[in-house]
This record gives sequence, C-alpha cells and structure tokens, in this order.
Amino acid sequence: MLLRYLFILLIIIPIKAFALIEVDITRGNLNPLPVAVSPLSIDNESKENFKKILKQEDLGSEISIVVENNLRQSGLFNPLDKNAFLQEPDVANLKPRFEDWNLIKAQALVTGKVTFVDEKLRVEFRLWDVLAGKEMMALAFTTVPSNWRRVGHIITDKVYERLTGEKGYFDTRIIYVSEEGPKTKRIKKLAIMDQDGFNNKYLTLGNELVLTPRFSPTNQMVTYLSYFRNLPRVYLLDIETGMQEVVGDFPGMTFAPRFSPDGKKIIMSFAKDGNSDIYTMDLENRIVERITNHPSIDTSPSYSPDGKQITFNSDRSGYQQIYVMDSNGKNVKRISFGNGLYGTPVWSPRGDLIAFTKLHKGKFYIGVMRTDGKGERLLTENFYQEAPSWSPNGRVLIFYRETKTNSKGEGFSAKLWSIDLTGYNEKMVETETDASDPSWSSLLSD
Amino acid sequence: MNLSKNLKNGFLILMACLVLTACATKKTSTTSGQMQGDTYTGTDTVKELAKGVPDRVFFATNETVLTTASRETLRKQAGWLRKNSDINVVLEGHADERGTREYNLALGERRANSAKDYLMTYGISSDRISVLSYGKERPVDSGSSPLAWSKNRRSVTVKAN
Amino acid sequence: MNRNIFISFGLHIFLVIITAMSLPFLAKKPIDLPPIISVELIQISDKTNIPFAPKAKKIIEKVKEKEKKLISEQAPPKKIKKQKPDAVPLPNEKIKKIKKIKDEKQNPEKVETEIKQISEFEKKELFDTNSIAALIDKSKTESAETNKKLDKVTQDQDKEMDFAGLTLSEEDALKAQIFGCWSIPLGLPFNEDLLVRIKLQLKPDGSIIKTEILDHARMNRPGQGFYKVLAESALRAIKLCQPLRVPSTGYERWKDMQLNFDAREMLEG
Repeated sequence: MLLRYLFILLIIIPIKAFALIEVDITRGNLNPLPVAVSPLSIDNESKENFKKILKQEDLGSEISIVVENNLRQSGLFNPLDKNAFLQEPDVANLKPRFEDWNLIKAQALVTGKVTFVDEKLRVEFRLWDVLAGKEMMALAFTTVPSNWRRVGHIITDKVYERLTGEKGYFDTRIIYVSEEGPKTKRIKKLAIMDQDGFNNKYLTLGNELVLTPRFSPTNQMVTYLSYFRNLPRVYLLDIETGMQEVVGDFPGMTFAPRFSPDGKKIIMSFAKDGNSDIYTMDLENRIVERITNHPSIDTSPSYSPDGKQITFNSDRSGYQQIYVMDSNGKNVKRISFGNGLYGTPVWSPRGDLIAFTKLHKGKFYIGVMRTDGKGERLLTENFYQEAPSWSPNGRVLIFYRETKTNSKGEGFSAKLWSIDLTGYNEKMVETETDASDPSWSSLLSD
Repeated sequence: MNLSKNLKNGFLILMACLVLTACATKKTSTTSGQMQGDTYTGTDTVKELAKGVPDRVFFATNETVLTTASRETLRKQAGWLRKNSDINVVLEGHADERGTREYNLALGERRANSAKDYLMTYGISSDRISVLSYGKERPVDSGSSPLAWSKNRRSVTVKAN
Repeated sequence: MNRNIFISFGLHIFLVIITAMSLPFLAKKPIDLPPIISVELIQISDKTNIPFAPKAKKIIEKVKEKEKKLISEQAPPKKIKKQKPDAVPLPNEKIKKIKKIKDEKQNPEKVETEIKQISEFEKKELFDTNSIAALIDKSKTESAETNKKLDKVTQDQDKEMDFAGLTLSEEDALKAQIFGCWSIPLGLPFNEDLLVRIKLQLKPDGSIIKTEILDHARMNRPGQGFYKVLAESALRAIKLCQPLRVPSTGYERWKDMQLNFDAREMLEG
C-alpha cells in the first residue's frame, strides 16, 4: 500500500508542476528597434541666442539630428521619419501621447528641451518606453554652447546603454592618418575627428611620414611612428598642447607603438640588425624592458585590458602568426592556426576577443578569435584591408581599406570602414581625405 | 676517415646538384618576362650608382634571402664602395603592399640588413652603411599586380653623402 | 557482504516492481485521454522548435529540468505519428510529453483521494519550484485588474482545466505572432544565459491582464544590465502583440500562460 502511495505521489508531482502552459519564444526579428527622436524643444529666446553664438538655426533640432544619425549608424536602431510625428516637441517632452507614437510604430521615444542659461547650453532629455507608457530615463546637462554636438553624442550613449544594456561609443574620437597624393609619394598627416566624422583637425603638417597613431587610455596622448629626419622612431604627442617627443630613440628603428592599459608604458617593436623584438618603455622613469628575445620578427604588440598579457605578431613559425604571452614575455603561445597569414592582433576592451587581419589566397580579412585562438570568425573580406581598432564597448571595429589600382597605379583610395562584431552593418566612415590607421578613443565623458 | 669524408663530400655535391636542378626547372617554368619565380629581374626601375653598378636588389614574396642575381649586384656595389671609401650609403628596405603595415616595416628592415650583411662580408665597414625601412610606404610602382609588387620588394642602396 | 547483496537484490526487485506497475499505468493514460489533445499537445513545445532552435531548447529544458522531477522515460507510442519526419524525438522530449499529460478527469475520485493524503508534500514541492520564484521575484509591471495570484497553481485550479497545453496550430499561431513583435535587442552578449520567463494572465479576448517576469530580481543585479534590456524587450513584444492570438475556446486552460523568451539562438546565428 505504501509503495503504491509513493508511486502515485511520484506521478502526480510533476503533473502539478506542468499545469501552466508554457510557450517557448526562440525567434524574434533582428530588425533595428524603431525609435522616434523628437526634435528637442527650444524657446524663442534661447533659439536666438544660440543662433548668434553657433550659427545654428534651431539647435534643438540639430542636436536631435546628431542623436538620430548616431542611432542609425549603430545599426541597432531605426530612427523614424520626423515628418510622421504627430506631437509638437514641447508637448511631447512633458507628457507624450503614447497612442500617437504607437501609431507610427515607435517603441522608444526621445524627447528633450534646450535652453540658454547664463551663457551656457542646458539640455534635458527623456527616454520613453512607448509600449509600456512610461519614462525610462531623464537627464540634464549643462555645458559651453560649442559642445553641442558632444551633448548629442552623450545623449546617444545614454539611450544606447539604456536600450541595449551595454555602454555606448558615441562620445568618442578617432585619430587616423590622413593621406593625399600619388601612391609612390603619399603625404601623410595625423588627423583627429569625432566618431561621426565631424570636427576634423590635422595634428601634423605632412612634412614627414607618420604612421599608426594610437590613443592613450585617457585620450590625452597619442603615440605614433614618425619618419622625422628620416629616422623612424616612436613619438608621443600631447593632443591638447601639441607637444611632441621621441620615446623610442634607440640605435635602430622603433615602431608599432601602443599604450599599456594603465597608460604608464608604451609597448613597441625595436628593429636592429634585421631582427625585431618587443620592448616596453616606462614613461615616468624611461626604463626600457625587453619583452621578447627571438631571431624572428616580433611586432604589433597589444596588451590585454587587465595588462597581464600581450598579444603580438611573429613569424617564428616561418610565417606571420598571432601569439599570446604574459606581460613579462613568458609563456609564449601561438594562437592562430587557420590557413593563411595573421597580423595586427588587437585585444578587445572586453578582454574576451582578439581582432586581427588575415591574409589568405590574395584576400585580406578582418576577423576576431577568442584569446585562446578558438572561435575564429571572419567579419569582412576584401582586396586589401587591415588594422582593426575596437570601439570602447568592444562592439564595433574600425579599420581601413584600400582599393586595387590598375597597371598605371590609378584608382587608388584608402578609406576608413566600420563593422559590427556580428559581421553586419559595414559602413564607410566619411573623411575629408583618404585615411588609414584609425584608432578609436575611449569614452570622453565617463 | 678519408672514406667517410669523401662520402660526405660526394653527398654534398649530390645535394648541391639536386638543389641546382630544382632551381633550373623553376627558372624555365616560371619565368615570365621580367620575373623569375616571383622575384623581379627586369631593369625598369633600376638606377646605377656608378657605371655598371645597379642600385637595388629584389626579393621574393615574404623572403629576405638574397638571390644569385642580388648577390652579384651587391658584389658590384661592394667593389664600388671599396674604390670610393669616402662614400657612405643608406640601404632602404621595402616591401610590397600585400602585407600588414607593421610587419612590412620589420620585413623591409630585414631585407636591408641582409643586403648590409652581404656587403660587410665583402669588407665594407658597418660604419659606412646605415639601414632604413620604409615597409610598404614608398612603392616605386603604384600598380596592384604581381609585377608591380615584385618591383617594390627591394633594397635600394642610396648615397648618404 | 551477504547483507549487501541482499539489500541490492531487494532494491532491484523493488525497481522491477515499480517498473512493472508503472508501465501499464502509463500505457493506459493516453488511451483514456481525448485523442486530439494527447496527440497535439505533445508536438508543440518540442517539435516546432527543433529545426530552428536546438540550442535554445536545450537551455529551456535545462531550466525546466532543474525545477521538475522526472519520473519515467516511457512514452506513449502513438504520439510519434504527428511528428515531422526529420525530427527524431529525444528522450528528453518524451519525458516532457508525459509530464504534460493531465489525467485528473479520467478518474477524479481516485486521484482526489490520493491528492488529499499527500497534499502536505505536494505543496512543499510546488513551493520549491514555481511559487518561490514567483513570490520573491514579483514584477511590478502589472495592470490593475488582477486579484488572482497566478503562482497559486493548486489542485483546485488544476481540476478546473479540461486539459493542458495548446494545440500545435494554436501554439504556432501564437508564436508566429510574437516572433513578429519581438525586436531582439542586438547589442546583447550572445554567450550569456539569455532566457527570460514571463507569466501572463489573459482576458478571453487575448489582451493582457498582468505580466510578471519570473526572475525579476535578476533585473537589478549588477552586471546583468543586458537581462533587464532583454526582459523589457520581451514585455514590449507582449504589449505590441496585444491582443494575443489565443484560441477562441477553452479560456480556462490558457488564461494563465508562461512565455519563455530566449534570444540566444538568434544572436548566435
């Protein structure tokens, strides 16, 4: 009898547990989220003031356009056509009629208000969940009026973070090499611009060849390779003051510089007598440390975000491959084993991936692999492209791509491109001139 | 003892013959006008340091090893340098565009150094030779073709004074 | 030594008896059930998923397994007939089928007496699984009307149900609708556990009375920002789809429903 009870009991319990109907939803659409970015409302007096200072007709509308373009560029959002908006900006910012926004299929709504207060620009914005009919976020910023584009970028970062769960990358800059002239006599200058291509500035004049600029973690400094006086050396440039100095004045060539994640060291290659090895230099006390010691070419070093490991490029196996080692040079391990040659490894800011350039059968690929070399994914293929640099949130890669020239050397161009980690959303980044060697800054305000 | 030495020599000769035949077949099979294998053998871009002294040597893809022709060129340069002991030179190493920038800088440096080493074995003091790598930054032919690339994989000897 | 063998022998016998008893017991069930339900109900949650979401299903099943005890691996043979030719049932699926079978109606008297006697234990078990999560992680997102506690899935409520589950076509219709409404946030890390379970209480016309995220506490946990984003996207999908395409009949069986949103397969794809 007891046995029977026990048995029935066993049968019944699970039945009870399953009383509720469960439906598994494993698919959805991967379409960008429809978002309405309402023009920020602005009162007439503020409008006039900003018009005088910034020469912008309607600053509220301009800032919302910055936000809108950023969101669209990310590929994760679909900003809706403003002509379809039913509500006036000022009304929407107070209390949106969600039915109206629902009608145009917006799932999220950005509203805001711009005012001129004590010679300063004050911007408040709100993010609304249209379907739930509630406010998700409200923030206000005050800054100098000339920073108005940055306000747009910061708003985008906040919206992006609230809706995707990861940090944004819009209030950032890109430093790159601007290129002009024929391929055989290319003139190269350092240039810096906002992530969306605005506020472009040249940092060098083009008298000497410059290559591979990279930001310091605080975005204050840039390290790069300059052929000043025909001596290829690693330099350090303070972006604010314009001060430059040599950091790698060794009896040979120093190149391929990068900052350590704490910004205290520069890691680079030093080539002498046909052998390139990796060295670090402490920027405070100028102590130089040799990290690799191998008769092969060791170059393109990049630290892991915790500073404990270094990934680099070496041909010690006979061909260019990617290696990982401890930051003291011990435990060297080859991680790339696919077909072809691998170069320019860059550790992602999240720490879990290494981006690289791969050359296989005459094609160049930008790809990522895990730090143990597994899970290789090629994101984009082209005739020539290289030098990926991570967005600060580790979601987007920016790199440069050159087009093939004909036998006379015509048809050449070099441009910056960005692509998502997923391999989608490949986009050209507009620059005034040809461009190469991009390096993405970290978030400027964080 | 002698026997083994003879055997060893014989073996070496045999190997050398084999290597040479390999070279020979390669020559006949892949020569296409101005290239041998994928090393440039033409004279389009070549300038002269002095009468009969070419200024540059060429390399195969991803290689830093000097070819027979390159060694001949460098011997001529060494002779010229010995005659003109007041001249110093810069060896400029270059790579083609088919490689990542930083690796190519190292590769160019290595190419220039392999030329430098050869000049030194012919008695030129290392004080008279400096080395400069341009990687792929200064192609002489801006085309994107195997021929153009072969012209760009080079080490050029330039008078420094 | 001898004693051990004896014990082992005894246990084996015990096992054999259990099996012997359970086999006919289980075999009988499906025959007693209304045929439409028993056949169609099985298909559903497993089969329609297989071609698209093997990984996601695995995760969901893992979660379920944690919560629910398995009792038998015996599957009623006739269930297989409606399966798609390429979908070979895994053992796990069979287990689930059985678990889903509702048999209260067949012999109410008998079952009821049993239930009463074991009710103490039963409650405890339920508490462990469904209620605890629901009680602790109470979502704040609910519209006013409700008074009934969803998580109190007790015997009485069970008895009201004619049968459990939706038919294949019913479930497919609902899924297809929600697939269309759910904008999966694209920025999510695809290597995380991305399962959001939401309990719904529905009106007969398919509009929502109440939604409740089962792991609500996780939303505010540090480092789980993406979970909140995902949960919110699931809630938006439900809102956007409202009224849900529910069957026109049998309100009692689907007035409470749980949706398991799993983005992993889509993001990995």
